[in-house]
Amino acid sequence: MNQVPESKNVAARAESASKIYGSGENEVRALDNVTVSFERGKFSAIMGPSGSGKSTLMHSLAGLDALTSGKVFIGDVDLSTLNDKEITKLRREKVGFVFQSFNLIPTLDAYENITLPLSLGKRGGDEAWITKVIDTISLADRLEHRPSELSGGQQQRVAVARALATRPEIIFADEPTGNLDSKSGTDILTFMRRAVTELGQTIVMVTHDAVSASYADRIVFLSDGHVAGEMSNPSPEKVLEYLKHLGD
Amino acid sequence: MFRLSLKMTLARKGRLLLTSLAIILGTSFLSGTTIFSDTINSTFDRLFTDVFRDVDAYVRSTDSVDTGFGEQRAPSPIEALDIILGVDGVSAAVGDMQSYARVVGKDGQPLGEDQGPPTFGGIASESVAGLWNVDSGRLPVGSGEVMLDRATAEAGKFVVGDKVRVNALSGSREFTLVGVANYGDISSPGGATFALFDQPTASEFLLKPGFVDAFLVQGDGTLSDEELAEAIDAALPKSAKLETLTGAEITEETTSQIKTVLGFFTAFLTAFSFIALGIGCFVIYNVFSITAAQRQRESALLRAIGASRRQVTISLLVEALIVGLLGSIIGFVSGIGLSRLLSALLNAVGLEIPTTGLTIATNAVTRIVLIGTIITVLSAILPALRSGRVPPLAAMRDTALDTVPKLGRRIVVGLILIALGAIGLLAALNGARVAILGLGVLGVFAGVLVIGPAISKPVAMLLGKPVAGLRGVTGSMSRQNAARNPKRTARTAAPVLIGVALVTAFTALAASVKNEIRETIGASFRGDFALSVNSRGFGGIPTSVTDKIKDLPEVDQATGVGFIAAKVGDESPFILVFDPKTAGGLYEFEMIEGAQTDLGDDEILVETDKAIEKNLVVGSSVQITLIDGSSKQLKVAGTYKNAYGNYAVSRELFADSTSPLFDSFVYIRVASGVDDDAAQKAISTVSSDLGIGTLESRDAYIDSQAAQVDQFLALIYGLLFLSVIIAIVGIIITLLLSVFERKREIGLLRAVGMTRSQVRMMVRWESVITSLFGAVTGVVLGILTGIVIVVSLNDAGFSAFTLPIANTVTILIGAFIIGVVAAVFPAWRATRTEIISAIASA
Repeated sequence: MNQVPESKNVAARAESASKIYGSGENEVRALDNVTVSFERGKFSAIMGPSGSGKSTLMHSLAGLDALTSGKVFIGDVDLSTLNDKEITKLRREKVGFVFQSFNLIPTLDAYENITLPLSLGKRGGDEAWITKVIDTISLADRLEHRPSELSGGQQQRVAVARALATRPEIIFADEPTGNLDSKSGTDILTFMRRAVTELGQTIVMVTHDAVSASYADRIVFLSDGHVAGEMSNPSPEKVLEYLKHLGD
Repeated sequence: MFRLSLKMTLARKGRLLLTSLAIILGTSFLSGTTIFSDTINSTFDRLFTDVFRDVDAYVRSTDSVDTGFGEQRAPSPIEALDIILGVDGVSAAVGDMQSYARVVGKDGQPLGEDQGPPTFGGIASESVAGLWNVDSGRLPVGSGEVMLDRATAEAGKFVVGDKVRVNALSGSREFTLVGVANYGDISSPGGATFALFDQPTASEFLLKPGFVDAFLVQGDGTLSDEELAEAIDAALPKSAKLETLTGAEITEETTSQIKTVLGFFTAFLTAFSFIALGIGCFVIYNVFSITAAQRQRESALLRAIGASRRQVTISLLVEALIVGLLGSIIGFVSGIGLSRLLSALLNAVGLEIPTTGLTIATNAVTRIVLIGTIITVLSAILPALRSGRVPPLAAMRDTALDTVPKLGRRIVVGLILIALGAIGLLAALNGARVAILGLGVLGVFAGVLVIGPAISKPVAMLLGKPVAGLRGVTGSMSRQNAARNPKRTARTAAPVLIGVALVTAFTALAASVKNEIRETIGASFRGDFALSVNSRGFGGIPTSVTDKIKDLPEVDQATGVGFIAAKVGDESPFILVFDPKTAGGLYEFEMIEGAQTDLGDDEILVETDKAIEKNLVVGSSVQITLIDGSSKQLKVAGTYKNAYGNYAVSRELFADSTSPLFDSFVYIRVASGVDDDAAQKAISTVSSDLGIGTLESRDAYIDSQAAQVDQFLALIYGLLFLSVIIAIVGIIITLLLSVFERKREIGLLRAVGMTRSQVRMMVRWESVITSLFGAVTGVVLGILTGIVIVVSLNDAGFSAFTLPIANTVTILIGAFIIGVVAAVFPAWRATRTEIISAIASA
């Protein structure tokens, strides 16, 4: 079932990844021996009910959380071999993030937020690329605004632009539309889709919404810390149908 | 509700700790100074009770001059002793003396401190009425023998049979040590040194032949102390001008005199402890404001489930009450240690004050705990009211950037408050009541509090500009963070501001005073060398030594200047005594009218402002009464300015007086053709080689006179140091709370690639910017205050103001260091932020 793609085409993968919280009777296996990989240049979605381990998988892949056992790779880099400073550098350069909310630093304006990972690394970005990203999110006229002066949808678009700014290996999006109205949500999803199709980026999105998931090229379903299945070229109907039987 | 808030208070241990820390620090200083004052007072109480334990009656002269810094009393003739011994009921009586005598150590340096406990000469007698018990050796007899108190003998490593040099009123002499004595049961009272002689030697060497300071009398037990005193009074002739006190009365009087002198000092300490407490208030207020904002949700929830506004407000006040009570109690206890530290500090700057044991008065405990608790609750009132106003189901939005509306109004109101406060301070400087001083300080503090938020944002942005330039986006975030909560920044920086303002104002004042001293001495002293003592009006350079210097072949001219207590009109000032015959061209007053030469023994010079105040002009008549009660009408012969003292008289005036006259300074001009080294060597042989005074060249002398101000300044710096500690703690607390509040932000930054050292840097620079904001505004406020004080105290006006540039730079560097130090722990905490949980805590 888990056909592992050619290594050079893989942006991120997990090998026998387990994450266990607590011990004894209180033991919770958030991830139980998960092996999964995400292809470069694709838009992937991770779905599953609450507590299925989808956020834990994403956090582990992104180097935000350490596994109990198993390995995760970003490109060819085994994250377990890196110290905190190296992982931080990797996140800054190779990984982009979009969270459900509170994505932006309130004291920085939109442009500063977009270029934040670059500034933290003290390296100049690719100006042409950044201009292109900003054009794509069509926020060129709001770049000097602080987050508090932007709508929720605009804030998320800035967040996506920030994730794209370093042209990372992979972008992780955790319920990026979860706090948005449906119009803004659609905008963000369309924008992410274009980032993959037109700009050649790689995105892994965690969601529990079938419509959101249907924007992806491929969906990985998680249940109780296991990979329960996957689906290519999904439509909302197919996803809903699949989810109905997931619990069976 | 009370139990609920009690529970909620105890549940938040971190918050409880942080809030109480501010209170602990604020109250501990107050507690420290209170315990310290109580301890010195009771030490002296015990000391004098002990000293006068066996004294049933005390006979002394009725003539005295009270200078406000202790009383100076005329000597009594020794003939009265026979009359006293003849009174029925008297079993023993003895002359007593506590005159100036300085024992010179084997290394040629005088024992004891110039500014320390007094150095006495006295009478050792076999009479049971005497205060001394022989410890080893025997009592001194005749003009060549001396006895020392045990502590002094030990300090100077003297043993019986040694030669001991003693300097006193009639000069410097060498004696043979024949015995060592204890004072009652103790080796030395209060750190004072004693050289003891038989009565005729003591009178002749220390005072005047045939005179003693007073008589100690012991009854035979047949009469009560009161009856004994009455009997003695009745036996003494009116013409002798003597009075008799009971043992209890003299104990009481001596103790209360010491307490009056110490009172100035303890009042000074108390003033600084209240400053520290006031600074602590800022921190407490700040902590309550921040935590009240942070628990908005908690308050909203309470309101949603049916708590009234009042209940929410009260729950916060209950927390304040608990924290205040707890903090004050701990603060009081830690004040005990602090009082010890205070003794050590004063010792270090040369102000040794004897303390034995530790006195903790019950009312001090109650008072300090009460004050601490009340100010805590008061500091919490505003935040508590604000917290009560939180609507139920308040928006759960993130604490973003707060704004300060009505900037203009804040600035205007703040400036008015500061101006009113400054007026209060000025009034206090000109002698208004202490309450006015308190109101003045309060006004300035309140003004700073009001104006702070209005200026904190622009100033922090300005100060942060180079940081942003230097440290890129991390520095830029530090800058923005320092400016994002203008109120918080202002409140956090307020303690630094006030501390720095006080330091700057005092430094500016001291620099100006030093300058004035230099100019005054420079203008009046024209010679090559100066011999000086630093003895605060007790003892000094025997005038016979001045005469000896004058007669040296290496010396062209020498003149002495001394100070003596006397009554002039309705005042009892120390008046300047000089020798008009030898002063000409060497010690010159800046005369406004008249001349100093040929000043007769029936004439007086008056400082010009004093002359105006007292309506005196050249030719007016002034009545002067000396310590021995002799009174004289003096004619004003001239007015002067810029000299120590408001009145100056000729030394001749004291020719027949029993007032002990010393010189404090001897100014010397070297004979032409004699090189300075040879002259210095010659002068030393009759002065400093014998342990009398310090001989310095003109420049060194002027430097060391000006440097006396530094000692005072060092004391103030020391006292303000605690305020600095409170300021640091205030910054630490605020940063910790801010780091906690911005947990998600820090988590996000870490997620998108901020390293731990960048996080640390971000917090550190925010701290430095905040601290520098306080320091820069404090320096400005301090310089302004300094100018106002100097100008108002000085006729020369603004030109008298000296800007202490070096100190200002030091202060700013200090503020920078404070910022770095304060950030250490909060920055470490920030780097420990768990990314996942920070992000997840939506």
